[in-house]
Amino acid sequence: MLSFNSPIKEEKKYNDLKIVEIEPTIKINLRSNKREFSTKIGKILSILPPNEANTSSGNENYNFLWLSPDEWLVYSNNINHTLDNQIELENNLFNEISKLNQGAVTNVSDNWVMINLKGSKTFDLLSKSCPFNFKDFKNKKGSVVQTVLNHVDVILHNKDENDLNLFVRRSFSQDLWLWINDSARFL
Amino acid sequence: MFIINCPYCGERDQTEFSCGGEAHIERPKQPTELSDDQWAEYLFMRKNIKGVQFERWNHAHGCRKWFNMVRDTSNDKIQAVYKMGEKPPVK
Ligand SMILES: [Zn+2]
Repeated sequence: MLSFNSPIKEEKKYNDLKIVEIEPTIKINLRSNKREFSTKIGKILSILPPNEANTSSGNENYNFLWLSPDEWLVYSNNINHTLDNQIELENNLFNEISKLNQGAVTNVSDNWVMINLKGSKTFDLLSKSCPFNFKDFKNKKGSVVQTVLNHVDVILHNKDENDLNLFVRRSFSQDLWLWINDSARFL
Repeated sequence: MFIINCPYCGERDQTEFSCGGEAHIERPKQPTELSDDQWAEYLFMRKNIKGVQFERWNHAHGCRKWFNMVRDTSNDKIQAVYKMGEKPPVK
């Protein structure tokens, strides 16, 4: 297990909505504008970074989220990853990318808190305090958006129908968690 | 409330952006040769026109990229959005 001490440690169920924090997961931020970056990443993770805006790619182990034309977030699907797994992945990426001046690798496992929202009321909840138009996002599996929810910066990853992962900075996570649960009572 | 078309992410609400002031202001090549007045002119003086204005904007709560925008300050109508380093598409 990763040595991750979550500030939330809760699971809540409402009518047609389940909210749970999924931890620990490996999360790594990647930045690069070099041409060889894609192939290097492909070799290490067996996934190519998505080039199209607001999309993601992935396999059974990792998800690759587009954040900006030269920035991505990678997170693991497996909560049983060990600290050794994380160190190995980070070292692989660091040696192939940072060391060779191909970009930047930052371990953000403890920076982001990942919350899973599932159920038919998911988008009703988000729409309570989010300026983003979810019309197309909702119907496109794998879509990604960075926006604000109740004035807090979040990254949303649409995994499946009415099933999404929300990333929030650790220092904002408790506040957002309380807001989410407060709002969920009124759905 | 208005919608801004980020050149990288697409249409988003204005609240996700922050304005970085007038665009296309060139830093003087030899700052040491300028008088204090000329330097102050470069640092502080902005056109602030009522009408079509060229501005820098940042998608602060999205991709965090800077870009340029042509906006009519009298009615908030956005005439064009273009990336940093590109020539303005309208005069
Ligand atoms: Zn953007």
